[in-house]
Amino acid sequence: MGGFIAAFLLPVLIYLVGIAYPLGLWPVANGDPTSAILNHHHIGTLFLFVTVAGSLYHGIFRFQSTLTEIGLARAKRALEAIGYLIIIIGILATAIYLLQYNPSFFSIP
Amino acid sequence: MIREWTSFFVAVFSLIYIYELSLFASGAKENALALMRNPGIITFNVLALLFTLYHASTWFYLIGKVQPIKLGKMTSKPWQALLLNIVLLLIISYTVIQILILR
Repeated sequence: MGGFIAAFLLPVLIYLVGIAYPLGLWPVANGDPTSAILNHHHIGTLFLFVTVAGSLYHGIFRFQSTLTEIGLARAKRALEAIGYLIIIIGILATAIYLLQYNPSFFSIP
Repeated sequence: MIREWTSFFVAVFSLIYIYELSLFASGAKENALALMRNPGIITFNVLALLFTLYHASTWFYLIGKVQPIKLGKMTSKPWQALLLNIVLLLIISYTVIQILILR
C-alpha cells in the first residue's frame, strides 16, 4: 500500500511543494501549495495525511531492509526497531499537526 | 540496487515535509516557506522527484511482469502495464492539481 501511494501520489506532492512553489512554476506561481491544499479542508487534509504517512512507511521500511542487505544484517533487529519507531512517531506527528491546523476535521461538513 | 536507494529519498522527503507541517501548525508559516525556498532543499526535491518517478516506473514494469493479464489468447506485456500506469499516474496527478490547487 505504501509503495502504491509513493508511486501514484507522492510525485505530485513533491512537484507542488518542493519544485513548483519555490521556482514559481505552474500551477502554484501565486501562493504556497500547502495552504491551498489545507484550505480544501477534509479532502486536502486527508490527501496530505495519506500521502505523507504512506510514503514515510514505505520509505523507512524499504530503506531499513536495504541497509540489512548491504552488510548491516547483524543489526537487523535494531534497524527494524528504529525504523518502526520513526514510522510510528512520524505518522502520529503528521496526524497531530494536520489536526492542529484543521481542528474541526472530524466535524461533518 | 538504484531502485532500493529510491526509498532513502522518499523517507527523507516525508520527514522534511512533516517538519514543514509542524511549522505550519505552530503558526511559523514564513519559516516553513523559507525552508521550501532553500536552494539545498530545492536540489534535494528535484533528486527526490527523479528517484520517485524511477521507483514508480520500475514498479509499474514489475507489476506487468509478475501479474500479466490474460485476455483470450493474448497476454499483456510488461511495457503495456508500464504505459497504462504512467497514463494513470498523469491522470491522478492532474486530478489532484485540479481539485486541490486550481479549484
